[in-house]
Amino acid sequence: MHPAFSVIFFTVTSGLGYGLMTLAVIAQLTGFGGISEQSVLIAGIASLIFITLGLLSSTLHLANPKNAIRAFSRFRTSWLSREGVFAVLFYPFALMFLFCIWKVNSGEHEMGVGGMVAGVIAATLAMVTIFSTGMIYACLKTIRQWNTALTPANYMTLGLMLGALFLASLQATAQTLNLAMALIVFAGVMKLMYYAWINEPTGSTINSATGFTNGKVRILEPGHTADTFLTHEFGHTVLPSKSFILRSLVFIFGFIVP
Amino acid sequence: MAKTSQAAKPLPKFEDHSKQETKYTTCYMCACRCGIKVTIEDNKVRFIQGNRDHPVNHGVLCAKGNAGIMKQQSPAKLRKPLLRKQNAERGQAEFEEISWDKALDILTERLQKIRETDPKKLAYFTGRDQMQALTGLWSSQFGTINWAAHGGFCSVNMAAGGLYTMGHAFWEFGDPDWDRTKYFMMWGVAEDHASNPIKIGIEKLKRNGGKFVAINPVRTGYQAVADEWVGIRPGTDAMLALSMIHVLLQNEQFDWEFLIRYTNAPYLVVNTPGQKGDGLILRNEDGQALAWDLDKEDFVDATQIDIKPALFWEGKTAEGTPVRTSMSILAEKYLDSEYSPENAEKVCGVPAEQIERLALEMAHIAFKETITVDVEWTDWAGRKHDKFIGRPVSMHAMRGISAHSNGFQTCRALHFLQILLGTIDVPGGHLAKAPYPKHIPPGIKPAKDCAPNTPLSSPPLGFPTCPEDLVIDEDGNPKRIDKAYSWDAPMSSHGMMHMVITNAWKGDPYRIDTLMMFMANMSWNSTMNTSEIMKMLADKDEDGEHKIPFIVISDAFHSEIVNYADLVLPDTTYLERFDTVSMLDRPISEPHAACDSIRHAVLTPDRDVRPWQEVQVDLATRLKFPAFTNEDGTPKFKDYKDFIINYEKSPGIGFLAGWRGKDGKSHLRGEPNPNQWEAYIENGAFFKYELPEHMRFYRFANKDYLEMSKEVGWNGSADQIVIELYSETLQRFRLAGQGLYDGPMPTKEEHKQRLITYFDPLPFHYTPLEEQRIDTEEYPFHAVNQRPMYMYHSWDSQNAWLRQITAQNYLFMNRQKGEEMGIEDKSWVWVESHNGKIRVQIKLMEGVEPNTVWTWNAIGKQSGAWGLKPDADESQKGFLMNHLISELLPPKQGEMEITNSDPITGQAAWYDLKVKIYPAHEGDEGSDPQFATIKPIPNATTPDHVKQHKGQDVGRYQTHEAVNLKRPLGDILTRGKK
Amino acid sequence: MKLGLVIDLDVCVGCHACAVACKQWNTSGTTGALSDYEPYGKQPSGVWFNRVRNFEVGDYPNNKTINFPMSCMHCEDAACVTVCPTGASYKREEDGIVLVDQDKCMGCNYCSWACPYGARELDRVSGTMKKCTLCIDRIYDQELEPIDRQPSCVITCPSHARYFGDFEDPNSEVSTIVRERGGRTLMPELGYNPTNKYLPPRVARPVPTDDVKMDLVSKVKNWVNKAISK
Ligand SMILES: Nc1nc2c(c(=O)[nH]1)N[C@H]1C(S)=C(S)[C@@H](COP(=O)(O)OP(=O)(O)OC[C@H]3O[C@@H](n4cnc5c(=O)[nH]c(N)nc54)[C@H](O)[C@@H]3O)O[C@H]1N2
Ligand SMILES: Nc1nc2c(c(=O)[nH]1)N[C@H]1C(S)=C(S)[C@@H](COP(=O)(O)OP(=O)(O)OC[C@H]3O[C@@H](n4cnc5c(=O)[nH]c(N)nc54)[C@H](O)[C@@H]3O)O[C@H]1N2
Ligand code: SF4
Ligand code: SF4
Ligand code: SF4
Ligand code: SF4
Ligand code: SF4
Ligand SMILES: [Mo]
Repeated sequence: MHPAFSVIFFTVTSGLGYGLMTLAVIAQLTGFGGISEQSVLIAGIASLIFITLGLLSSTLHLANPKNAIRAFSRFRTSWLSREGVFAVLFYPFALMFLFCIWKVNSGEHEMGVGGMVAGVIAATLAMVTIFSTGMIYACLKTIRQWNTALTPANYMTLGLMLGALFLASLQATAQTLNLAMALIVFAGVMKLMYYAWINEPTGSTINSATGFTNGKVRILEPGHTADTFLTHEFGHTVLPSKSFILRSLVFIFGFIVP
Repeated sequence: MAKTSQAAKPLPKFEDHSKQETKYTTCYMCACRCGIKVTIEDNKVRFIQGNRDHPVNHGVLCAKGNAGIMKQQSPAKLRKPLLRKQNAERGQAEFEEISWDKALDILTERLQKIRETDPKKLAYFTGRDQMQALTGLWSSQFGTINWAAHGGFCSVNMAAGGLYTMGHAFWEFGDPDWDRTKYFMMWGVAEDHASNPIKIGIEKLKRNGGKFVAINPVRTGYQAVADEWVGIRPGTDAMLALSMIHVLLQNEQFDWEFLIRYTNAPYLVVNTPGQKGDGLILRNEDGQALAWDLDKEDFVDATQIDIKPALFWEGKTAEGTPVRTSMSILAEKYLDSEYSPENAEKVCGVPAEQIERLALEMAHIAFKETITVDVEWTDWAGRKHDKFIGRPVSMHAMRGISAHSNGFQTCRALHFLQILLGTIDVPGGHLAKAPYPKHIPPGIKPAKDCAPNTPLSSPPLGFPTCPEDLVIDEDGNPKRIDKAYSWDAPMSSHGMMHMVITNAWKGDPYRIDTLMMFMANMSWNSTMNTSEIMKMLADKDEDGEHKIPFIVISDAFHSEIVNYADLVLPDTTYLERFDTVSMLDRPISEPHAACDSIRHAVLTPDRDVRPWQEVQVDLATRLKFPAFTNEDGTPKFKDYKDFIINYEKSPGIGFLAGWRGKDGKSHLRGEPNPNQWEAYIENGAFFKYELPEHMRFYRFANKDYLEMSKEVGWNGSADQIVIELYSETLQRFRLAGQGLYDGPMPTKEEHKQRLITYFDPLPFHYTPLEEQRIDTEEYPFHAVNQRPMYMYHSWDSQNAWLRQITAQNYLFMNRQKGEEMGIEDKSWVWVESHNGKIRVQIKLMEGVEPNTVWTWNAIGKQSGAWGLKPDADESQKGFLMNHLISELLPPKQGEMEITNSDPITGQAAWYDLKVKIYPAHEGDEGSDPQFATIKPIPNATTPDHVKQHKGQDVGRYQTHEAVNLKRPLGDILTRGKK
Repeated sequence: MKLGLVIDLDVCVGCHACAVACKQWNTSGTTGALSDYEPYGKQPSGVWFNRVRNFEVGDYPNNKTINFPMSCMHCEDAACVTVCPTGASYKREEDGIVLVDQDKCMGCNYCSWACPYGARELDRVSGTMKKCTLCIDRIYDQELEPIDRQPSCVITCPSHARYFGDFEDPNSEVSTIVRERGGRTLMPELGYNPTNKYLPPRVARPVPTDDVKMDLVSKVKNWVNKAISK
């Protein structure tokens, strides 16, 4: 979970993918933005590619991928497990929906009910999956910065925003552009709220961690002079300055650049 | 302990015990010598744990002991005898492997020549060994006076301080009565030899509600759990202790009975300043000390029992000689305002109120919370007593005291505190460990002369009591290569190993031929002035001959010193050899039991190595030492084991005290027992003789104990051991300095001054010698070391587990001080002394006295040594303080060179070091100085459990495939709320 | 049963014996071998289940040093278990020991993020998460002497600062000592309910001095001898 490139890559690409698919479905069903079947089809295929790339990368970054298949088994309690399950369930419906679009596009016949239902389900599963991804982080009491409803909300808006951007770049109509802009602003506001929130003093301190409540506590020696799994994995949460830099980077890349 | 009967669901069989065997032996990851139980799986160690029955560790094990597996696996293990390549320079580590036969032939031939011509040209010095009884015997049989072990650079101040005062000592000679003590004061100890016993003891003390006071400039380890931490300024402990004595005297809190019965406090001392005989004890015609009897109102033999000696008295003898009691002198001296808490505060940086309170707290425990052990015992004069009176105040002190040039007097000052409180060898106090207590001082005198092909007339090391005992020639010049027992350091009872290389290199007092060292890393962490010493070891004179012609090293690992050897004799590891921890040496005795122990080979070496014990016996036989050869020239002993069984120091007394006699039924004394080794192995590798209850206390005056100690050869006589507050020995040397002695006297002014100033018969505080000579404004910081509890000197950087804890050492500094000076945490700084400078990385901390900086000892390594890769942190970031410490004091205009040691005992003054600190330039990182990377030894191998993984070495040690505990799938799918 | 450890911070001298004893036992134990990276090279590190840290409380001269061993607390509400997607991480019903099934772990590190006590370490070679097993391969081993059926770190501790036992049994040594000494858990606010407890440093009894103190002390003494026969 160390924000290794693979993880960032996963959250961004799959987030984009799911957002894109959701918007594609909405566009198709509501005719919003006046987007051509052509574009919807491309968008749909693109989203599947993004999602698959994302899933692959996150699977490959496991230390022991051969057991990845077992990740579905703890649906009961593990958001990581749930994300996996939803992500997989998403595929058949998404494919079904795209199949129909393709038919429609090639003018063979109309978008049937089946197609629509599949679309709606795919879109919902897309959102649920991003939500689960958000919850993977949100449910960690250990990292207060993430332990909030804002986290999944952020993931979802981020996904939709990226989706909208892609859509707009695909077919720039007034509406798609406005939507994209609106979402950027909205997501921006959300992130700002979020950062305002996490900058409040955090819950656990070195004092509560060591149980000594009077007097300043400082670490003298950590018990090892070289980096260990722990310092590697959690280094950046231990050093506020670093985590700030990390966050501002996310901020910049996510919102200013496009 | 939990009753974990059977787990609810049956578990897999994790270990196949049928493939394992357990053996008991003695640990040697350090000098504490705990008993261990080693579990072995096909000649590989599965697990090492403590032996619960063992007197030293009672089943516990320290971090080092737990890492024995990784010492056994070390890639630094030497594999075969090594000979320096013809054209290779010393220090370059260019060796060729040779056979043992060749190695021993080369050595025997060389030693033969030396022994036939001038035996003292062999200098044989040993470091952290525990076989001084054997190496000492070997040297005196060879006939060289140039032998000593590590004591001189280790803690001779503690040994001498105790043995010249009370017949035992701190260090390994005595222990607090952990079960009974109510107040424990620890002076300058980070770890010490009694690693596990001290930890066991501190826990007992605290569980019993006792108080633990720690006096130390640094607060880590033991000091962390102390109830009160006294962050003293280094080198000032004598002032603190004597100031506490000042308080005790002022409040008349001292043990009258104890002082009168058991010490020389009532002895009368001649008071004729400037005249011969001044300061000597008043004696009658047959040499008995005299006291003033309060009833008879007359001078009486102070050793008689039917007397009432005055503790305080001043008067004249019939001849009109002014005399006064030792106690009168003592009281007058310490009541002086020089030792007032107010003045002590200025010197030690410890608040006056605190000094006074601590002194009175001890007085309260000693005199108001007195304890008794109701056992009948008989004193030296045959009088019965129905109980032992105990004063439950105890102390321990070590190198924070001894490693200063005022350590001997400081150590005596601590003992004075203990003696005035009546806490010596009493219940709850400081207890001696057999074969101690001994008479004061022990009756051995250092050998003075060598002759071809003849053993020495006495051991090389002993205890001088007067100038006549010095090892000097008629012109007063040193006879020993280390200049021990010379006017430089008259009472250097453990020799002065730290001077050997410098003196041998200079040829002062003479050139030697061969320097043989065992278990001493003398080119690195156990030497002062390391960078220069490295040059001396390799240095040659005009004709291209080495100044030290031949260097022989016995080592088990590829340490730094190995690279300077001409001949390397590879030793086994502690799990691969037979060894004894002998009663003739420093045994593992406990206060209430005389104990010794053995090691036996629980693993078979995978290399062509031999135990140094065997090699010693082999050489002794080849060189035909009398003690090792029959009249007909045939060898007396076939090997080391045979030697241990059959060698007798005196009839019935040998290296091992247990299971003696043909039938193995007699203990401590008895005929050799052919099955002695087997007996030890059967009994867990140690022997323990519980002293009967009535022999456990007041042993300096305990008739039954003293008689037994004579019977078993621990003491020469059964006379009372009279504790020496006032030291006549010191006074004799002082008189020699004053030119008032009938006998040898120094001719050099420096020597005279040192004798007059420092040989005070009563302890006093003086500023450490280096500090006296340097500008303390320029060098404001005291720089000291601490032993990490998890590493032993240089040994453990080769240990894959231990080095993970500390592969790099920092220089620790007081945070507020650092901030004042603009020195940041983790920044690189230069540390400079009068002798040199080093670059190190800083770590700021709270728990250090602001004028002190410190680091972990011996973490820094030479690149390439110890089987480590050239870029290992130990060599690139770690550092040694030794580069800054000079073996000589900063020179004074027109003065002779003076050793950086205690002027009395010659103890190396490591912790007198004063330094200045300033930031290094931006980007100047890494430790400095750096030295050429040492080449690996021939055929060096990495342990087979180390493999490559993703371009990195990974060690994965295990003795069998792991048996995983599987979680059933059903459980996975069904457990936990939705 | 509710098995766990008690660690006495009043006597822990920070010697690292428990940490190394743990390494020694467990490298050939049920989740061994425990990898050591660059064992003889630069920046040596490896997989440990128990690490001893030293902390300083307060500023000089009012500072205290605390030695602090940390291993798995075998929490009652162990999020490390709930978050694990594969079910490799689990808490045993019969004794509360939290384990990682080495055959099922996929090495995602998620659990280590859920653990506030830094008790879990990934083994890069096996690719699996590892942690304190409470020496399950010792404590139930009927072939060991009963007294040896304790964790390696406990039997080795030279300062007797470590206790092992059943917290469910109110009369067990661990329950009693925690009651008597006011044992605490770490970061209670996170609600993990750690089983392991830490005993706070004791406060030493004050030693009276008034009964050995003279009210008016003079520098010059004219001592009155006591008649004591030798
Ligand atoms: N783990 C481990 N154990 C060992 C060893 C080892 O290397 N590792 N070495 C063994 C050997 S050879 C020896 S000699 C013993 C030495 O055992 P120790 O006596 O513990 O030796 P040091 O580690 O030098 O500790 C010296 C202590 O004195 C403090 N100190 C320094 N100067 C002063 C002073 O002026 N006054 C006071 N009051 N304190 C001062 C230092 O801060 C430090 O805490 O340990 C033995 N045991
Ligand atoms: N700056 C500074 N210097 C110090 C000290 C300090 O506190 N500060 N302490 C001093 C003290 S008290 C001491 S005692 C010395 C200790 O210093 P040394 O006596 O040199 O002891 P070590 O460095 O532990 O080990 C010496 C050699 O023993 C070898 N050795 C280890 N095991 C065996 C074995 O089984 N057989 C053989 N033949 N060799 C073996 C090692 O490889 C090493 O080369 O250091 C002193 N030096
Ligand atoms: S203290 Fe540790 S290293 Fe030293 S002998 Fe005991 S167990 Fe071995
Ligand atoms: S072994 Fe005991 S004393 Fe040493 S660090 Fe561990 S708990 Fe503390
Ligand atoms: S300490 Fe960490 S690993 Fe252990 S049970 Fe608690 S949360 Fe899980
Ligand atoms: S690393 Fe292994 S144990 Fe931890 S959460 Fe992932 S699968 Fe579960
Ligand atoms: S209980 Fe066992 S596994 Fe856990 S820390 Fe102690 S020794 Fe290590
Ligand atoms: Mo030493």
